[in-house]
This record gives sequence, C-alpha cells and structure tokens, in this order.
Amino acid sequence: MKVEVVGTEKFGTDSYVALFNGILLDVGLTRMVEAVKFIVNPSDPLFLISVRTRKAMSLVKISEIADVARTEGGTMVTIRDENYAPRLLTFLWRKYGRDRIEQLSRLEILCRGVSEQDISVLELHPGEELRSRVLDAIWRLLPEGFKIRHNISSENITTVAATEHDMKKEWIELANKVHAEMGGLDV
Amino acid sequence: MYKVLMFDGGVYRITELYELVEDVGGFVIQKTQIQVGIVVTLVVPEEEVPAIEGKTQELGGKLTDVPLAGTEIAVVAPTLGRHHMPHPVCDIAEHLRRYGAITVVMGLARGKGRQTAQISADEKATIEEYDAAVFVLGNFEDCIVKEKIRLFESIEIPVLVVCGPEINGLPNCEGLVTGVCRKVERMRRAEEVEKLEEVAQFLGRIIATSRKEKDEDPLFVHPAEIRQRIESMDVVKKSLRPAPIVLHLDGLRIKIPFEEWRDSLANIEIFGRRLEEVATISGARIGGSTLIRILSRSEVQARDARRSIAAA
Repeated sequence: MKVEVVGTEKFGTDSYVALFNGILLDVGLTRMVEAVKFIVNPSDPLFLISVRTRKAMSLVKISEIADVARTEGGTMVTIRDENYAPRLLTFLWRKYGRDRIEQLSRLEILCRGVSEQDISVLELHPGEELRSRVLDAIWRLLPEGFKIRHNISSENITTVAATEHDMKKEWIELANKVHAEMGGLDV
Repeated sequence: MYKVLMFDGGVYRITELYELVEDVGGFVIQKTQIQVGIVVTLVVPEEEVPAIEGKTQELGGKLTDVPLAGTEIAVVAPTLGRHHMPHPVCDIAEHLRRYGAITVVMGLARGKGRQTAQISADEKATIEEYDAAVFVLGNFEDCIVKEKIRLFESIEIPVLVVCGPEINGLPNCEGLVTGVCRKVERMRRAEEVEKLEEVAQFLGRIIATSRKEKDEDPLFVHPAEIRQRIESMDVVKKSLRPAPIVLHLDGLRIKIPFEEWRDSLANIEIFGRRLEEVATISGARIGGSTLIRILSRSEVQARDARRSIAAA
C-alpha cells in the first residue's frame, strides 16, 4: 500500500497513518487498498483522505454464478462459482430474511417462498460493498468533531474532506485535485 | 503523615498484624481473602512502617507501597466514542487501579471537535468530587495547545494531561505525559506499558504533594476511621454496588442515597462528636451517593469558637 502524507504536525500525521493501518486490519481491507493520501492541517482545520482500492469484481447476475431450480416450497440455488458464495448468502439473507433462506450445504441454498424467476434476475454488486467498507474505515478514522464533510467517489477512489465549521471552496477544489491525482497514481 | 501499604501473605496469624496496626494507630482499609492467602490494604503512621515491615517478615508476607490507595481518580476523555481513545482511557484507568486507586472513566457530553469542544459547569463540578483527574487528549499539538486546554481550565483538583505530541508544557494542569495517542487496540507492547507506568508514577507524585499540603493543616480524623464506623451500617453491608465506601484524600464517598441517610450519617459518633460537627455531608452529583468532606483541625476549632461566641 502506497501512503502519502501532507501535514503540519509529524506526530499527528504519523499516528493517523498507523491508526488507519489498524482500522484497515479491523475491517479486513488491508489487501484491497492500493494507495492512501492524507492531508492533515489541524490549524485550518482540514482533514482530507483519499483512498484508492483495487478494482472490485463487476456486477453479476445470480443466474451467471449459480444454478437456480424450482423445488418443493421454493427455489434451490446451487452455487457454481464459490468466490461469490458468502456474498450471495449475505445478500439473500438481507433481502428475504433468515427465516426464508436456509443454507443446506456449502454451495446449496434453499429459498422458501421465492420464485425461480425472482431469484434469477437478482444482481450482486461487489463494488458497492467494497465502497461501503472503505467508507466505514474512513468514518472510523475521521476526527469525531469534523462533521462537515465533502465526499467524492468514483469507481475505485473515495475522497473525503472534513472540517469543523464551513467547508471552504478551496478545500473542495483541493479534494477534487487529490481525487484526480489518485486516479493517475502509479502503485 | 499516614502511609498506605499492601500486605500480601497468608491468613495464618493475620490477627497479629491487625492488632499491631491498631496498636500503632493505623487502620485496615480492605481485606481480600483468597483461600489461605490474603491481601490487606492498611494505613499506618509513617514512623511506624518499620514495625509493620518487621511483622510482615515474621509472618512470611510481602509489603508493598500503594501510593494511590485511598484515592478516587477520574479519567476523562473528550467523549466515550471510539474516535476518542477508548483503549488508552481504559488502559490508564486499569493501570491506576494496580496502584490502589479507585478510578472512574468519564466522557464529556460535548467534548468532541476542536473549537466546538466544551465542558459544562456540571461536568466540572462532578470531576471536582474526585481527588485528581487525568485528561486524555488527542494527537495534534495545535488542537491541544490552542483549544483543548479550555476543558481543564479552572478545575479545582489536580489535573494530569495525557496526550500524543511532545509539548513543552501546558497551563492549568499539574503535569503532562506525552506519547499516548489514539489506538485501535489495547496498550500491551513494552513501550506502551512503560507509558502507563509513567502516568501512574506522575499521578503518584501529584497525590503525594496533595497529601503533604493536607498535612500542613491535618484533617480532624482520617477518612479510614469514619469508614470503620460507617461500614457497620446495615444499608452499607447490604449494598450491592462495587466498593460501597470509597476513601478520598479528605473524606469519603458512600454509595447510599444522601436524602434518605443524611440524619443517620450526621449522628455517627466520632471522638465524642457528631460527624456533622467535623465534616460536611452532601449529596454527590452522581446519583445515589453521599459525599463526606472532613474538616481540618483548624476548621473544627474555628467552628467551635464561632459556636461558643454565638452561645455566649
């Protein structure tokens, strides 16, 4: 992971880098983050962080990764691509509830009271999930009092500028600039 | 001056130690028995320590100094959210307990932020009920030096500040320990434990200074003497709260409701006087507790003189 830090206080910025590493470890993102840039200016006050992640798996229909068949009382989903198994199970639990979704074996899921057609058209968004985990990590890191935030998000880069009172125009411009630079960064 | 010590040994002939403590004018603060082993926290006059050491040796026990015993310390963080260092705050509180202190962790309602960080008068008054406060602040010097110092401004008790960056000094506090910053895990590494030790040692010095200052005009009675009389009350015996009686440098916190028990407490006899004649008894800001602040000998004399003039 490439880390770039710009700040007026060495101790503060260094400790925030260490803290971010700890948070990434906690949320299980260490291997997914390619580059991070911090701009920390407590006297302004401005806290800016830009995170670039690896490209997430693209959007996929359930019928592309699993066999879907009607069975007694519902639909049986047999997963073909095991990489998607945990994500698919979580997605189904969230959509239909744990009462209706039962994992029969490692790759077999029984969906009670759900039609075959309804399941087949569902789509998984691994990129969205990754983005929400990155945002979670950033929110854990940001100083609690810095509630005024400007977020920029593109396919694999998330940039957040945070301050305490008014968000100045130049900080938004700086955030845009950092966000654009992160896209062209060599890692 | 009294000294607080911890005896760690066996139960065999332990009554001899209790008798000696009583004979030299000391008190037993706490006894914790684990099967045949026992840990006793005791207070004795400083000049009688060699006698206690001799008895400890005779009984095959170990005597250690517990500089923070008999104190209640508040460990204060800007908030209790995960952004404000719950790990260092809890670790510091836990480490101070090893030195005998009773510690309370406290988060401010509006302590987050830089310029927006505030402390209310009510919070200040609550903190002032303790013997000392440890304020655990953040990672940025600019933020601490310019803004956060307001949090512990005009607090009447000794304040120790713990923060991350190296700062030469801060106003409104008795001490400063640097190098402790936000963490996502507990302070378990050797250098982190060293920092905890530094905090405890610093606080020990602050408390020793407070004790010396109080000794210039000694209290009318030692808080442990009042404790001995109070712990026999049924309501205290039946209390399920942890540590129903907590000693302070100049009094006690008793975890029974003030409104209900004020008269019983006021009438406790202490050296031929009623407790309310030698102490102020009030309700604590944290509900369901009573605070007793013992007056100094000169305060009691002045009170007596005023009374006799009024009677005449």
